[in-house]
Amino acid sequence: MAKRVKAIVKLQIPAGKATPAQPIGPALGQHGINIMGFCKEYNERTASMAGSIIPAVITVYEDRSFTFITKTPPAADLLKKAAGADKGSGTPNKAKVGTITAKQLREIAELKMKDLNATSVEGAEKIVAGTARSMGIAIE
Amino acid sequence: MPDYWLELSVTAEPEAVEAISEVMSRYANGGVAIEEPYTLLDDGQVAQTVPDAPVTVHVYVPADASGEEARARIEEGLWHLRQIGFGNISEISTKRLAEKDWENAWKEFYHVAHLGKRTVIKPSWREYEPAAGEVVVELDPGMAFGTGLHPTTRNCILALEEAIHPGDRVLDVGSGSGILSLAALKLGASSVLALDVSPVAVEATRANAAANGLADKIDVRLATLEGAAGEPFTPLSSEVAILGEEVGTYDLVLANIIARVIAQLAPALLRATRPGGTLIASGIIAERRQEAEEPLRAAGLTDIREFIEGDWITLMGKRAD
Repeated sequence: MAKRVKAIVKLQIPAGKATPAQPIGPALGQHGINIMGFCKEYNERTASMAGSIIPAVITVYEDRSFTFITKTPPAADLLKKAAGADKGSGTPNKAKVGTITAKQLREIAELKMKDLNATSVEGAEKIVAGTARSMGIAIE
Repeated sequence: MPDYWLELSVTAEPEAVEAISEVMSRYANGGVAIEEPYTLLDDGQVAQTVPDAPVTVHVYVPADASGEEARARIEEGLWHLRQIGFGNISEISTKRLAEKDWENAWKEFYHVAHLGKRTVIKPSWREYEPAAGEVVVELDPGMAFGTGLHPTTRNCILALEEAIHPGDRVLDVGSGSGILSLAALKLGASSVLALDVSPVAVEATRANAAANGLADKIDVRLATLEGAAGEPFTPLSSEVAILGEEVGTYDLVLANIIARVIAQLAPALLRATRPGGTLIASGIIAERRQEAEEPLRAAGLTDIREFIEGDWITLMGKRAD
């Protein structure tokens, strides 16, 4: 496998439900890779996680073969679940949609630390807390 | 389906990306695409994201009133993020894209490909009438390496056409999509043992063998040869079998991998080549030629010839009698 990287694409999409529609079609289509091949493999790998957003990082090689890895759900997805909210607030500095505890914040930060490129749990906590604030989720 | 889509893109510092993605995915079904800057390592074989560099988030909305509404709502959401103090969130940039049948549009990239002097790679959805003496391998591109579009694959087919004799028993180490194994069978090999360390490749080789009616002539295994140490960024899985002398000897051995792995496997590759048999080693970037060639010579490869396309090199030689 003499492969050299041509492009990297990250998709944040619902587990088990990949289709050639937006954003997968336009984001991968421009690289000429087998989109149905990606959707089938992604759906197989993530079927048991249905209901979560599971990011996939796709590496496209020079001959348009590709591989991908899946990541932990985005912090926003974990925060909504922890706060019991369907979606973030449209006006986060006024209307709050839910609350999480400091312990929950720490748990999410620990889970997300690697994917956030944070060097410490405290650093990851800061990023996750910022995301929570942007969604109108308060931290107790 | 709308005739046109709008690609909405926002660039910001990495810490704001999760929040921006959340806002954008709220108004666009299906999720978001994220573009993180990366640098290439190891001669371009590995990509690593650049920490702290600005990241771009894309969503696609219909180019109609509903898309304009989504764009306005996203703009409003981003305004709130800026108020909270997330810095450096760019304005939305917009690009108009024509709707495509994405399920099939990628197929436009693939045509019937002529490799070597008489080998033809044909995607299943294309028609082709072979000329006298040509062999046709039907191959649909998938995840596994070996679509026929890469110089190293083309070099291997050239070498293979020259070296193969009817009835040869062939070993293919790193079979990928199975393209070389299947070409070897079509060119007259009696049987192939195909090995790969990737389960995706093992499955692809099997599926492509079946599609060509060659499943009974090929044995595909999740395995490699002694010496394999795994690559720095992709260690070998414990499920991969490491084959020693029990692998046997072959008239022709193919190893289209990379220079470093060829160097690791050199003694085992030569052991698996019968005396007087041929070894084709490929996937070698020009500046890494010595890294592969010296261990192959040391292990007993002689009469070495080269096939070059661009900066990719294929080495073909014989094991001394």
